[in-house]
Amino acid sequence: MRVLIRGGRVIDPSRGLDAIRDVAIDGGIIRAISEHIEERGHEIIDATNCVVAPGFIDMHVHLREPGQTHKETIATGTAAAVAGGFTAVACMPNTTPSIDTPAVIAEIAQRVAQAGLARVYPIAAITHERKGEQLAPYHELALAGAVAFSDDGATIENVRVLRNAALYARDVKGPFISHCLDDALHGDAVMNEGLHSAVLGLPASPRLAEDVVVARDVLVAADTGKAWHIAHVSTETSLDILRWARSRGTAVTCEVTPHHLLLHDDLFVDYHARAKVAPPLRGPQDSAALRAAVRDGTIDVFATDHAPHTLEEKAQLLSIAPVGFSGLEIAVGAYAHALPDLPLDRFISLLSTRPAQILGVEGGTLAVGARADLTIFGERPWTVDAHSFYSKGKNTPFDGFTFSRRVVATVVGGRLAYQADRGVLEPLAYT
Amino acid sequence: MCQSPTGSMQTRSSPRSLLDIDDLSRDEIALVIRRSGEFRTQLPDRSLLAGVPVLNLFFEASTRTATSFTLAEQRVGADVITFAPGTSSLGKGETIADTAITLRAIGVRVIVVRHNESGFPRRLAESFDGHVVNAGDGTRAHPTQALLDLATLHAEFGRFEGLRVAIVGDILHSRVARSNIVGMKMLGIDVTLVGPPTLLPDSFAQDGVRIERDFDAVLPRVDAVMMLRIQRERIAASLLPALADYTIGYQLGTQRLRLLPKHAVVLHPGPYNRGVELTDEALADPRSRYETQVTNGVFVRMAALDLLVNGTAVRA
Repeated sequence: MRVLIRGGRVIDPSRGLDAIRDVAIDGGIIRAISEHIEERGHEIIDATNCVVAPGFIDMHVHLREPGQTHKETIATGTAAAVAGGFTAVACMPNTTPSIDTPAVIAEIAQRVAQAGLARVYPIAAITHERKGEQLAPYHELALAGAVAFSDDGATIENVRVLRNAALYARDVKGPFISHCLDDALHGDAVMNEGLHSAVLGLPASPRLAEDVVVARDVLVAADTGKAWHIAHVSTETSLDILRWARSRGTAVTCEVTPHHLLLHDDLFVDYHARAKVAPPLRGPQDSAALRAAVRDGTIDVFATDHAPHTLEEKAQLLSIAPVGFSGLEIAVGAYAHALPDLPLDRFISLLSTRPAQILGVEGGTLAVGARADLTIFGERPWTVDAHSFYSKGKNTPFDGFTFSRRVVATVVGGRLAYQADRGVLEPLAYT
Repeated sequence: MCQSPTGSMQTRSSPRSLLDIDDLSRDEIALVIRRSGEFRTQLPDRSLLAGVPVLNLFFEASTRTATSFTLAEQRVGADVITFAPGTSSLGKGETIADTAITLRAIGVRVIVVRHNESGFPRRLAESFDGHVVNAGDGTRAHPTQALLDLATLHAEFGRFEGLRVAIVGDILHSRVARSNIVGMKMLGIDVTLVGPPTLLPDSFAQDGVRIERDFDAVLPRVDAVMMLRIQRERIAASLLPALADYTIGYQLGTQRLRLLPKHAVVLHPGPYNRGVELTDEALADPRSRYETQVTNGVFVRMAALDLLVNGTAVRA
C-alpha cells in the first residue's frame, strides 16, 4: 500500500525538522519526505493545515487482556489507541493472570496479531503475580518481548525485594516503572487529602503517600544503577525529588497524565466515582507545578494511564468503585488544553520521541527508511462524548469538555488506521 | 481553568430532601427549631403526616437515632416501616437506583436512611422520587443531630449570632461535627475545633472555623463545649496511643469543668464513653445538657419531617 501525505507541517523532534512537506510511504516504510512528491498510485491523505508527527506512543495503558475482557480487549483498546492518535501503546501487567511469564506475553502477541490496530508493547511484572515477594524472570520476559517492568497498581513495599530485583535486572533491557503510593498511608482512600476531603468526610490519601515512595525509588535507582521511570507523577514534591535525583546523575524519567495536569480534588461533591483514580487528583498548586515541570523539561513523557472500567463498575459506591478511567481518546485534546503554548516539537517529543527512547522501541522519528507510524493532528474544536469511545471504558471526568486539538489521522505501519471523519478503518476482528 | 459540564447532582428541585443541614435556609432552621419547641410544649395531633409511608432504612446499627425517628414519625401520624438490612449487598452499583425506584413504586414517600458510607443518601436521593432524610452517613453528615444541638443551644441562649462553641475530639471521623460546623457557620456561631492533629488535621481550618490544640485555653471563652465520642479503634489505627493518654489533653473532667464559665453548657451527641472524653462529674454537672439534647431530638425530627413533606407555606 502506497500512501502520500500531502501538504502537512511535518515536525520531527528526533531530527529537528519543522517544515511543510509531503511524505511518501510504501511497504510500511517512510520512503521520502520533500517539498513536492508526485502521486504514483498513492492513497492520498490531505494534511493541509495539519501537523504530521511521528506516531504517538502511550507508555501507560491498561488493555485488560487477558482475563478482564469485560473492561477492555486488545481489539477495543487498540481501536481506542488509533482513534486517540496512538500508533503504539505499552500495556501494564495487572491482567488476569498477570504478565509475569513468557506464555502470557505470547498470548498477548497472538491477540495483537489477530485483532490489534496499534502496536502493543507488553510491560511485564517486577514480581510474581505483582505480590512484591518473588522476582519475575526478567531475562525470559525480555526475550519474549517485554519492554519494561512494573508492578503498576501495586507498590513493592519490601525495599530488599525491590533492590534485589533492580540489581538482578540491571543489565536487562527495559526500565523499571514505579507506581508510587505507600499502601499504609494510602489505605482505603478514595480521594486526595485536603480541605475537600475534610468537608466531604471521605477517606483521603495524603501527598506524602506518593512522595515517600518516589523518594525511596529514586534512591534505589541510584543505588542499583537500574534505569527507572516514575509513573503518573502528581505532586509538587515528587517533582522536586526527581529534580534532585537527576542533579545527582540518577537515570530517572517520569510521566504525567492529562487528568493530573487539568483536574482537581473538587470533583467528588456528588459522591460519584467518575474522578476516582490513583494517584488521586490533587489541588491547583500541584497541577500548576506539573504544567511548569512539562515546560522546564522535568517531565519526559505524556502517558494517559488509560484504565477502562464498565459503567456499572464505576457507578458503584465510591468506596467500591475501581480506580481509573479511559484516557487514550482524550489525550491529544487534553494535553494541548493543559499546555496551549507548549511548542509543537516539545508536544510531539513528549508523546512520541521520548517514550520510544525510554522504552527502547522503534519509533519517535520520521527518518526516511523508518517504519511508517505517523500521527496527523490539527486545531479542530471537538467535544468529548464518552459514549462514543471505541474503548469499552466509557468513563472520563473530561466528558463534555471541549478541546481544540484533534487527531485527524493515524497511520500504523503505512496503513491508514483512523481518520477523523471516517473513524477506525478496520473492522474489529472481535470484541 | 476548565469547567466540567453540569453534573447530575441537582436532579430535581422537589420533593425536598435533607442530606445535610445546609439543605435548609437559615429561616427554615429557625422555623424547625421554633416548631420543635411548640411540639415539646404541646404535641400536635397525628395529622401532619397522616398516612404518609415513611421507611426507616438503617444499614448501620443505631439505637437512639432509630428510636427517636420512629417515635417522631408516629407522633406526626406517618405509616412507619422499619428495615435494617445491615451492611448488605444492597447499595452496590446500579442497585442504588433500582432500589430507589422499587421503593417508590411500592409507595414509600419518605426514606430515613443511615449508611456507613459518606454520600450514600445523596446517591439514593438522585434516583428516589420522594424525600430522603439523612440519619447519618459515614463521616459525612448527621443533619437532624445538628438541628437538635442547635435547638438545645437556642433554648439555652435565645440566639445564635455571636455564640462561641468548641467542638472537641475526633473531628476527622465525626459526621456530627461536620454537620454542626456547617450549621453553626450559617447561623453566625463562632466555632473552635479542639483535638490532636491525627484526629483534627490542619485542613479543617476554614473561614469562621478555628483550630486550637490547647483545650484549657479554649474553655474559659466558650458558651458551649461539645464533647465527641472517642472510639477504641483509633488506637489500632495508630491515631491515638491510648485512651488514658488522650484524656490528659482532651478529657472534660473536674479540673477543666472549673475553667468552663458558669453560664456555659456541655453537649454530647452520645453515646458517650464515661471516663474517656468526659468523666462522671462532667455528665452530672448541672451544665450538662445531654438528656435535653436527646429529648429535643424527637421534636426536631417531627418538625423537620413536617417541613420537608408539607413545606413552609402551610405553617410559617
